[in-house]
Amino acid sequence: MNSKSSNGLQFNCVKTDKKTKQAFEWWGPAPSAARKIAVRKSKALIDKRVSLKAAVSRYIKDAITIGIGGFVNTRVPVALVHEIIRQGAKDLTLAFQSNSICAELLAGAMLLYPRHVSVRRVELAWWGYEVIGIAPLLRHLAGKGMIQLDDYTNYGMSARFKAAAMGLDFIPVRDHGGSDMEHVNRGLMVSSPFTGKNTYLVPACYPDVGLLHVTAADVYGNCRIFGALCTCPEIALASAYSIVSTEQMISNESIRTYPNLTEIPYLAVDALVEQPFGAYPGVCYGNYWFDMAHIQMFRDASEEFRKSGNQDPLKKYYEDYIFGCETFDAFLNKIPREVFEKIKQLDGGQPIIVE
Amino acid sequence: MSACTPVEMITYTGSRILEDNKTVFVGTGLPMIAAMHAQLTHAPGLGMIFEAGALSPVLDMGLPMSVGDTRACRKACYLKGLCAVFELTQRGHVDYAFIGGAQIDCYGNVNSTFEGGSYSKPRTRFPGSGGAGVMAANCEKTIIIMALEKRRFVEKLNFLTSIGFGDGSPGYREKAGVMGSGPYRVITHEGLFGFDPQSKKMMLLEIAPGKTPEQIQEKASFALRISPELKPMLEPTAEDLRLLRHVCDPQGYFLARKMN
Repeated sequence: MNSKSSNGLQFNCVKTDKKTKQAFEWWGPAPSAARKIAVRKSKALIDKRVSLKAAVSRYIKDAITIGIGGFVNTRVPVALVHEIIRQGAKDLTLAFQSNSICAELLAGAMLLYPRHVSVRRVELAWWGYEVIGIAPLLRHLAGKGMIQLDDYTNYGMSARFKAAAMGLDFIPVRDHGGSDMEHVNRGLMVSSPFTGKNTYLVPACYPDVGLLHVTAADVYGNCRIFGALCTCPEIALASAYSIVSTEQMISNESIRTYPNLTEIPYLAVDALVEQPFGAYPGVCYGNYWFDMAHIQMFRDASEEFRKSGNQDPLKKYYEDYIFGCETFDAFLNKIPREVFEKIKQLDGGQPIIVE
Repeated sequence: MSACTPVEMITYTGSRILEDNKTVFVGTGLPMIAAMHAQLTHAPGLGMIFEAGALSPVLDMGLPMSVGDTRACRKACYLKGLCAVFELTQRGHVDYAFIGGAQIDCYGNVNSTFEGGSYSKPRTRFPGSGGAGVMAANCEKTIIIMALEKRRFVEKLNFLTSIGFGDGSPGYREKAGVMGSGPYRVITHEGLFGFDPQSKKMMLLEIAPGKTPEQIQEKASFALRISPELKPMLEPTAEDLRLLRHVCDPQGYFLARKMN
């Protein structure tokens, strides 16, 4: 393979020699290790339902890479992230394309409770709240040099999960080249062996554990997703182990009636948690829309911490809504009932096939 | 109807340059509103693509608040995930990218990663590329929205996130391995820019009524080319403003904001 500078493009804004000097290392399992884990698993159609608590305590360990599903505020695995924060995990690597509240919740936990939760590095494309604003805790952590970031595009991250889902080491993509991401991320420009033209390769991303929230699943973990799929099927198939929370259970008969509708097969699911409103305060197509006010409240507390150093409102959020709740349902019970009526109504009852 | 605001001027101009029967990859906010306005006026056959996975949805529940939300998926012709829609750009199915950012240089390269300090310890970290880097690489033409300010129209970016014409050298984009033809228009409320085909440098094509090229130059850190056929920017009619304010963004989520 050619070296990093093989495209002959000298124009770059960021000077770094990181890429040429450091040998590539897998942050999650190597492809061969991920394969071995899959090979050793029972392939039986067995009931994979467990509690949120059991799923997280079984699979989430210190120093692992966690792949986060959904996209920004869409179908994000909030219930799973709450439980990870409750139980604690250190030296994590996070991998996602675009995220808002899940990444910020973990970042806030790290800032407030560093001996309980910490994030060492993040492989990402985007971290923010879209209409609501920038992510204050990302800005704080990055500005203080407290986390290592590895930047790709949204396609780059999605293609990296796809490559892992395909069992590959890397995948060629037609972006990143000629940008400064080429100089800072872990991809590599090579000449195509077929045409000789410059082609950018991104390394596959194999998380140790994938976190996904889906519309519906049967007890074996066959999952249906309505609305944008985001990169959820790829993340589930890429990860050594996947924990899936589902809005609702459906019968295996329904799965078998419409097998084309299965977006994640049972083989890629290790633990299944039935958790209605599991993406709240995010949006879940066919079920509920965002709770903008709740996201705004958490973001305001985060922004106050970033700007003034005052931890109190942010700490209160964690104490009230995460540590003060035994389960995610206990958190949901603290949200006024009218909120759920409103966000269901804002969904407009999008048609989904769940039986 | 009150006079059009800078944000409305940008959105209207964005709408105006989108052609009918094309596809446009849009991000949250002004690009969505511009594309909605274009569909309601001169471009009913314009297809919108949202990066979470929707191709040609019908925005009949109002303005999406996120490119992945329910409103952005509703009644789509094709609804998959990020890989599917970005692969449409690589394959050549997407005509326009519509992106923003924090800084732009004379070759239409855009920064949305950080400002000040270094990559590993930035003074101000931004959200990152998101879809912008891939849209600018592989949609056929890139449209960029930017506030016309010296700190944004810069000589040198702190970080090149979304590829434009690079250093302007011939074949830069081909050597970079990207597929699209590159920057097409830069929209600000006081001037609409294109790019000089030879030098690949930014060129003022249209100017807001009452402004002079010198006044526009004052707001950019690099030397602007001025088109020999400089035209006035069209202003939205009362009907255009009604559509923007009462149909596209009635809550004023984006149009009521100030340019930052």
